[in-house]
Amino acid sequence: MSTLVQYIPGESAFHRLDPRSKIIFMLLVTGVIFIVQSLWVASAMLVTLILLWFLAGLPFSVLKGLGQATLGIVAFLIVVQALLYPGETILVHPIIPSPVPIVGGVGRVTLEGILFALLLSLRLMAMVTLLPLVTITTPMHSFLLGLVRMGLPYRLAYTTTTALNLIPILQAEANAIVDAQRLRAFQVFEKGNFLEKLRAYPALVTPLVIGAMRRAQLMAVAMDSRAFGATKERTYIQDIRMRRTDWAFIVCSVAYVALAAALNYLAL
Amino acid sequence: MNQPEPTIILDDVSYRYPRSKRYALRHLNLAVSRGEFVAVLGENGAGKSTFCQTLNGVIPQTRGGRMRGRVIVSGWDTQQATVAELAQRVGIVLEDPETQIFTTSVLNEVAFGPENLGVPPQEILHRARWALEAVGLNGYEDYAPTALSGGQKQRLAIAAALTMHPAVLVLDEATSQLDPMGTVEVFSVVRELNKQYGLTIVMATNKGEQVAQFCDRVLVLHEGELIARGTPREIFADTELLERVMIRAPQVSQLATYLEERGVHLTDFPITPDEARRGIIHSIRGSH
Repeated sequence: MSTLVQYIPGESAFHRLDPRSKIIFMLLVTGVIFIVQSLWVASAMLVTLILLWFLAGLPFSVLKGLGQATLGIVAFLIVVQALLYPGETILVHPIIPSPVPIVGGVGRVTLEGILFALLLSLRLMAMVTLLPLVTITTPMHSFLLGLVRMGLPYRLAYTTTTALNLIPILQAEANAIVDAQRLRAFQVFEKGNFLEKLRAYPALVTPLVIGAMRRAQLMAVAMDSRAFGATKERTYIQDIRMRRTDWAFIVCSVAYVALAAALNYLAL
Repeated sequence: MNQPEPTIILDDVSYRYPRSKRYALRHLNLAVSRGEFVAVLGENGAGKSTFCQTLNGVIPQTRGGRMRGRVIVSGWDTQQATVAELAQRVGIVLEDPETQIFTTSVLNEVAFGPENLGVPPQEILHRARWALEAVGLNGYEDYAPTALSGGQKQRLAIAAALTMHPAVLVLDEATSQLDPMGTVEVFSVVRELNKQYGLTIVMATNKGEQVAQFCDRVLVLHEGELIARGTPREIFADTELLERVMIRAPQVSQLATYLEERGVHLTDFPITPDEARRGIIHSIRGSH
């Protein structure tokens, strides 16, 4: 999870782009990916994003890890949509005949259901490829400054980036709690079944939430002590500048999403 | 000689946290002179952190609760001035480095405070270079704070406070998570800032060895009350007091007390290894 947000220094053209152009790219692609209905267009978008990933010189191992992490959700989506989507092309006939009230039709698998599940999975994988493409290539302070220069109030931008920063910290704390429990022979998270795990979650979540609240309180003290939010005319030690390449990238991004939208329209 | 004007004045200060009936601080009266290096000792829960946070107005302004009496720092009443205004008078370094580092590079970290105040970027760079130099972190500007050692992280937190140009630096258990090397690193830097720039230091700690070596004066807090104050030698020689508040004296002071109880008298009560060595040699030579 931490790899989703942690900056990896690099010298690629994608790294050098102004954060604003990357944020605009991210928003445009996110918007289009959710309106695309064609499987072909969604697949093509995923492929181009993966290509961009390589152009940015980002490690394949991270992408592989992210892919593996989403496999479970993809499988879940396919099963649920295949069984529940109200399609017409029946591939597998229901176990219980449709006329039976309430449970009738259970077990029916439709072609439309599977196709819809594939579309959802492609969208999910595209998002999982897109977000780190921006966060991994942009240092957090540049990302924050990009958001501020785009008009987001500093406090809101700061809260957003702090939340992203906290993910790996909370992940590490959760691991430490699980380790501490393991040392006392508590093995439900490794060997337990679904119900046992569900029942064990309060034992993990309670110390995690209490720890996070304590941390938040101390952070508030430390931030106030360094004049957080003291003036509206906050200054920034580093500045960001839109170059010609950034404008070219934005034009390309707009063309890319327009093309995707047009192809989607034609394909339907 | 004229007594220098106090930088910190506590006038009958009592405080209790929100939803608590117990007072965490009780009737504190204190004056700390400009350029003093003061250690605050006390067991866990004695009120050291609460005391530290009254000095920059976080108590009561951020934490809430009820405060009586007045705290004046550099001429500012901590209940009248905003915490942001006070941040330019009082820098604070907390125990856990992770909770006070907000950015992803050393340079951005030391710039965070002055940026919040709207200081022009050139001036911030100037202050940042000076502060990093003062704590021995020059050359680390582009490092990620996560790549630093514990001692370096705390020195970074000190540098981050220094860029606000404070008159007082408060360290709340800032060495309790550090190994012996990191502890000495932090104490040495703080002592140097105190000597070279006349910065007033208030340091809540339980590290007796370093208090003896570096501090001018010791305050002892117990259940929210200031029950003793004096030079490190006076405090560490008071075994009854130390037992009562469960504070450990430096090992050489414990050795001197042990010898004293067995009839071996050292001329001066030692608080540093050097003093103990001299005292013991003197005592051995004197007995022959």
